[in-house]
Amino acid sequence: MPPASFLHNLHPLTKVVWSLAVVTAAFFLQGPLPLLLLWASVLAVAGAGKVLRQVLPALKGLALLAGLFFLFQVFLIREGNTVFTLFPAKGIGQVTDVGLYACTVLALRMLAMTSTIPVLLATTNPKDMVVAFVEKLKVPYLYAFMLVTSLRFIPILQEQLDLVLQAQRARGRDLEGRNFIKRVKAVVPLALPLLLVSIRRSRTLAISLETRGFGSGPRTHLRPLAFRPADIAATAACLLLAFLVILL
Amino acid sequence: MIRAENLSFTYPNGLQALKDISFHIKKGEFAAIIGRNGSGKTTLLKHFNGLLKPTSGRLLIAGLDTARARTAELARKVGFLFQNPDHQIFLPTVAQEIAFGPRNLGLKGREIERRVAEAAAQVGLTEYLDASPWKLGKGLRQRVALASVLAMGPDILVLDEPTTGQDYRQAREIMAITKALHRKGHTIILVTHDMELVARYAEKALVLGGGRLLLQGPLTEVFSRDDVLAEAGLLPPAVLRLTAPYRKAGLIPGVLTPEDLFREVCTILRGEDHAARILPA
Ligand SMILES: Nc1ncnc2c1ncn2[C@@H]1O[C@H](COP(=O)(O)OP(=O)(O)OP(=O)(O)O)[C@@H](O)[C@H]1O
Ligand SMILES: [Mg+2]
Repeated sequence: MPPASFLHNLHPLTKVVWSLAVVTAAFFLQGPLPLLLLWASVLAVAGAGKVLRQVLPALKGLALLAGLFFLFQVFLIREGNTVFTLFPAKGIGQVTDVGLYACTVLALRMLAMTSTIPVLLATTNPKDMVVAFVEKLKVPYLYAFMLVTSLRFIPILQEQLDLVLQAQRARGRDLEGRNFIKRVKAVVPLALPLLLVSIRRSRTLAISLETRGFGSGPRTHLRPLAFRPADIAATAACLLLAFLVILL
Repeated sequence: MIRAENLSFTYPNGLQALKDISFHIKKGEFAAIIGRNGSGKTTLLKHFNGLLKPTSGRLLIAGLDTARARTAELARKVGFLFQNPDHQIFLPTVAQEIAFGPRNLGLKGREIERRVAEAAAQVGLTEYLDASPWKLGKGLRQRVALASVLAMGPDILVLDEPTTGQDYRQAREIMAITKALHRKGHTIILVTHDMELVARYAEKALVLGGGRLLLQGPLTEVFSRDDVLAEAGLLPPAVLRLTAPYRKAGLIPGVLTPEDLFREVCTILRGEDHAARILPA
């Protein structure tokens, strides 16, 4: 079980509000510095919730994505003064000061917006998330269940993928240290068994759901979630901060 | 042939699955690895072809340290049959599926054809070579997987619960194939929860419990250590439980299967040394 912290104990919706507040703030903040501060605040929340280590791999991935995004965009902007050119002889790969600035802002915005998601997932029990959506937001249970089940399938898929990989390596397929193209080509033999095993598995899941009377009547919940004073305070604070950012 | 020296393994998540394991399996031996769910059997098997590398200690396969050898290199020596054949099947026909391994070894044309035909014949799949593996039943899919392993030409065969989820006949056929391979000189390592299978086919057993090697030795020896077996959560085969009191009294030693017992009883009853003659074939 994950270590409990105040973040774990907050109502799921409070955390969703926080997440949305960060997204809103990210839209309205302009300079790189405020955005960096916003991102730092997300990390601070993760740290306070004792999940920083846990979400670090996900954050790294997101940072990488933002970096790629930056690289793709930065060469496309032509306005402003040229800072440097990648291939001066041919005149391609121009990077301008405007481009650098705009792309830094974009990448940071993306990073700040997406970073709340791993924090949200790490501190919230998926079941509670479903209950919250169904009870408070009146989302039909079926959809909430579908969302959470597909999230829960990811680690299972990962496990299956490992097994498929191992089965192939056991037959002399050498995936260690090959070039990129060969690795991409190797995806087909991986994807096929994975897909077929997963389809079989989801069929089993469907049958076992039906045999246990899924969708046969109104649902009750084992742990009703209460909106506590701490939730009200946190929600209010998030909304207020987001509002302030919009005004400024 | 296979030598483990103080092998320990810890998964990245910190779970220590194998603790200080040492053993030696000789060339041409038929060894069974037994233990309850989660005792570390599969983890140990995955060391044999380098899918996992020891966190400490060593594992030598035919003198080759698995920590240094590449998995692709070990794949020539060690054939590994996974518990679920569906994890490895991905080609449209049985023949292509079997040819995948030899192709990875860099073989070409004629030689591949030869290996495919030979491997298919060994597991009785010759008539299915053009069929799609996905359309075959579970037992046959398991055999496709076995053939594709045999086509690599390994000396050592590692089988992880090859009979689980199969009907009696399919299980017997897989075991008959395994036995034939053993006779041809392959070293066999079998993981199974079926103690009757162990008694019938294996020569020695390694008992795992909680990641430790609790016991190893010839079958009669292992199966008479009720205390250790109980600790490992295992029950000896029915015949051995039946004959336990007699064994303790020094009677009918070495009985492992119903056929053994029948033969012994006949010998005792009739005082004949060659009662085996009256056994049905
Ligand atoms: N990839 C993994 N990461 C972390 N722990 C694992 C992993 N695979 C297995 N384990 C754990 O290692 C221990 C030994 O597992 P292993 O699969 O070797 O057991 P086993 O003896 O093969 O069991 P079974 O009879 O169920 O096949 C178990 O506690 C298992 O939960
Ligand atoms: Mg296992």
